[in-house]
Amino acid sequence: MFGFKNRRKQLLQEIETHIEIETQQNIETGMPPEQARYAAKRKFGNVLVAVEQSRSVWGALWLENLLRDIRYAARSLSAVPGYTATLLCTLALGLGCVTAMLAIIQSVLLLPVDLPHPGRLVHIYAEDEPEGTSASPHALSYEAIDALRRETSSFAGVSGYNTMVLPVQAADGVRVNPLMEVTPGFFQTLGVSARFGRLIGPDDGKAQVAVVSEEFWRERLNGDPKAIGAPITISGKLWTVIGILPAGFHAPGMTGAPVAFLPVSTDSLGQDVFKIESAAVIARLKDGASMQQARADAQSVFAHSGHTYAEQHRQLGMRSYQELVTGDIQRPLFALLGASLVLLLIASANAVNLEIGRTASRMPEMSVRSALGAGFGRLMQQLVTENVLVSLLGAALGGGLAIVAVSAARHAYAGKYPRFDELAIHPLVLCAACILAVLLGIFASVAPALNVRRHTMGRLAVRSTTRKSRLPGLLVAAQVGLTCVLLVTSGLFVRTLRSLENVELGFDPRGITTLVLMPENQRQDPQLSRDIETRLLHRFEALPGVQSATMQSEIPFSNYNMSLHGTTDVAGRPYKKGDSAYYSFVSTNFVKASGIRLLKGRGFLPGDESSGGIVALVNEAFVRIYLSGRQPIGVTLRFHRDPGDTDADLPFTQPMTVVGVVQNEVQGADLGAPYEPMVYLDHLALPETSFLSAVFSMSGQYAVRSALPETAVASELRAVVKQDAPTMVEMSLNPMEEQISQSLGQRRLALRLVAGFGIVALILSAVGIYGVLAYSVTLRRREIGIRMALGSSRGKAAGLVASQAGRMVLVGLAFGITGAWAAGHAVRSFLFGVKALDAVTLSATAALLLLVSAAAAFVPAMRAARVDPLETLRAE
Amino acid sequence: MSTRKINDQLDLMKGTLDLLVLQTLAGGRAHGHAIACSIERRSDEVLQIGHGSLYPALQRLLKLGLITAEDGISENNRKARFYRLTTRGRKYLFAEASKWQRFSNAIARILVPVVEESS
Repeated sequence: MFGFKNRRKQLLQEIETHIEIETQQNIETGMPPEQARYAAKRKFGNVLVAVEQSRSVWGALWLENLLRDIRYAARSLSAVPGYTATLLCTLALGLGCVTAMLAIIQSVLLLPVDLPHPGRLVHIYAEDEPEGTSASPHALSYEAIDALRRETSSFAGVSGYNTMVLPVQAADGVRVNPLMEVTPGFFQTLGVSARFGRLIGPDDGKAQVAVVSEEFWRERLNGDPKAIGAPITISGKLWTVIGILPAGFHAPGMTGAPVAFLPVSTDSLGQDVFKIESAAVIARLKDGASMQQARADAQSVFAHSGHTYAEQHRQLGMRSYQELVTGDIQRPLFALLGASLVLLLIASANAVNLEIGRTASRMPEMSVRSALGAGFGRLMQQLVTENVLVSLLGAALGGGLAIVAVSAARHAYAGKYPRFDELAIHPLVLCAACILAVLLGIFASVAPALNVRRHTMGRLAVRSTTRKSRLPGLLVAAQVGLTCVLLVTSGLFVRTLRSLENVELGFDPRGITTLVLMPENQRQDPQLSRDIETRLLHRFEALPGVQSATMQSEIPFSNYNMSLHGTTDVAGRPYKKGDSAYYSFVSTNFVKASGIRLLKGRGFLPGDESSGGIVALVNEAFVRIYLSGRQPIGVTLRFHRDPGDTDADLPFTQPMTVVGVVQNEVQGADLGAPYEPMVYLDHLALPETSFLSAVFSMSGQYAVRSALPETAVASELRAVVKQDAPTMVEMSLNPMEEQISQSLGQRRLALRLVAGFGIVALILSAVGIYGVLAYSVTLRRREIGIRMALGSSRGKAAGLVASQAGRMVLVGLAFGITGAWAAGHAVRSFLFGVKALDAVTLSATAALLLLVSAAAAFVPAMRAARVDPLETLRAE
Repeated sequence: MSTRKINDQLDLMKGTLDLLVLQTLAGGRAHGHAIACSIERRSDEVLQIGHGSLYPALQRLLKLGLITAEDGISENNRKARFYRLTTRGRKYLFAEASKWQRFSNAIARILVPVVEESS
């Protein structure tokens, strides 16, 4: 290296000459030759130190040392393949998990979305639960968007969109398809440009034009480059495709879906056809405008020009566009990163313990090197080199694992979670993993190096005393503790799933098939739709094998639910801000057919709608909140009228009379969601004059109960629709129980991941416990032998090991349970039906850990019991 | 003696040792042993830790280009490496020596009454 070998040889020669000359002089002064040479050497001092120091003057010594250390490390590691393999696997697992999670978090959450100046894109939403009528709790009206666009000064662009699912006819026939209605400025605000053709622009407000996503173009327009100008038919109207979006662009919430974008049709007042707050708002901040300024600016517009009382008092919220896209998966991803970091900690504890054990067996080598003049720094450098080398190898293997894991995640979830199609391992993450590995390597060498130092500083090589170190035991305790945290967390998830599966649905899901129909033409006369839907209901009921059929505007687990969230006056109770309930429209036979329990009063009766008044059922939650301590039957409800509201702002003005109370039923698609106050109305009772009539007759949702096999029911239902209502399009047809189990899918995935981490952690801890005990038995052989010679039994020898194991595990459990309590709190929003500190989970975890530790301690304990006292004494 | 102790002492002596080596070579070329003996004669302290410490100093001076090395034959017919001062080394020695001179003159003026007796 750099000709240093030759220079070193030359220097050694020179020093030899020096000593010879000195020896010669000594002989000339009369010393005997041997003594003369000795004196000369003594006078010269340590030759090797002189050479080392000379070489450090030449420079690059550290590099040469490093290369030599690496060669040496590689050689000595390959001499102990078992140790090296264990260490490598441990590190590869730990570092691999962390690398994969870091890569996913970087790709999904940290890297800016691929739009120009993404940092200036914001999502504006209603902060508080809106009162009045809205399509989603955070939606705003198109009128409000227009006001924001015109009257604010902080935004370079304000645009809105709403999503829906409708039958769309394209090159491949009629299929149910997600649609987005957007304001003309939508694409301009986002800053996206077309792949082919052009996008909807300011002049397209009234035009029958459509822009489609790349997926739509590929799946539904055959990927034809000449698709520009092709027609698609929605609700009997022709729309001309004018542009195709680039492949990577996904509108919020539309990951991987074939989407068609249409300009939203608004009337002269700027309202959309539903006249409700239905739009999400995306705006682009002007250069230099801060989020706070912009929010205040938007807020003032609402306060001054809000159309309704509710709008004037709306609190606006603002967050980055990136959060709108990925906000939902942010917390689960960070939770998983936490789990993988815990795993890495466990793995590094293993690495440290393995290294301590190995260094102990190399102590003679270290002593010799130290005696030959190697400084502590030099020995430390050797240890660090070796550890860093292993860590880096581990990081490389882990990186390989991470690449596999990340590409698997990309393939499996690209169309499911936002931005998962962009998953990749960027160099930055690999650098971070390498830095982590180097730190880990250095960290793992500190404790062994201190041992070496203690050892080599001692005058004698103390070979025969039992060395006791607390560190390995503490590390194992830490491992056990961390494993406990992971296991308890997965235990909590298991319990959550169990409780969710046992949630009282409030209805009987067995044998129910849900069917959602929609008129192919959305502009079909609402009354006609309603007639068709009612006729179908009777036809379904009459089918052979069908026990009952209901129509509900909100069926649990359906994706096509329509519910009205309305502020409500309850007679005999002063109105308070926030008094509201969800309104669901159901068919007359609802109570009997759905199996929901009627707690008080009666259900709907066939003559109700013609009796003049509107009758209503309320659920337990409604009674608890608004009618506690009162007789609910006969109470009158009305939609609340805010100051300044006109009749047209209310869904309808007629009073509703409570005739019955039903039990709570699961709402929406989340088994764990709290029960909201519900009001059920007969769908026939909805006044035709109400603007809701158009909304609620837009789709028909049926729940059909039958003992027949699912496929038989499905084909019967389809046959009826085809024959009786050819203008209705099937949006979905699913067995209810399948939908219930699907609704748990995400939680199952989370459980599987966390439990996976937990199992790996358990294995690593078992290896750790085994390693430390086996090592300690090796060290204590002599002690055990002497104890036995003095009359101790084999059982007691094994007990010695067992008690050591017990101490480690108990200490570990003690802080594991504390940690589990903290972790339980951190994930409590994911939990349902189980407390953050759950005794059953804790004791099950503790039992499992004790069992595994006992298994891991078994072999070392047996080895201790088999120590032969004679052998020990002979060796003394 | 541990490496660390040697290092401490060397740091203290480095400057002095370098100057002494250069001073020795000012009289002509010399090999390691001769330099060591010459320095030993002039100062008890600097090489107390062994002749060995001379060699790192020589390497340092070589690297700085103040001296050069060449192979030669010693007075008792051994192959040895001889060191000689370069022009740069000579300049450096002159500058440093006069600096030291000035410094010691200054010290001497301050300490005159005490150092009177030792000459």
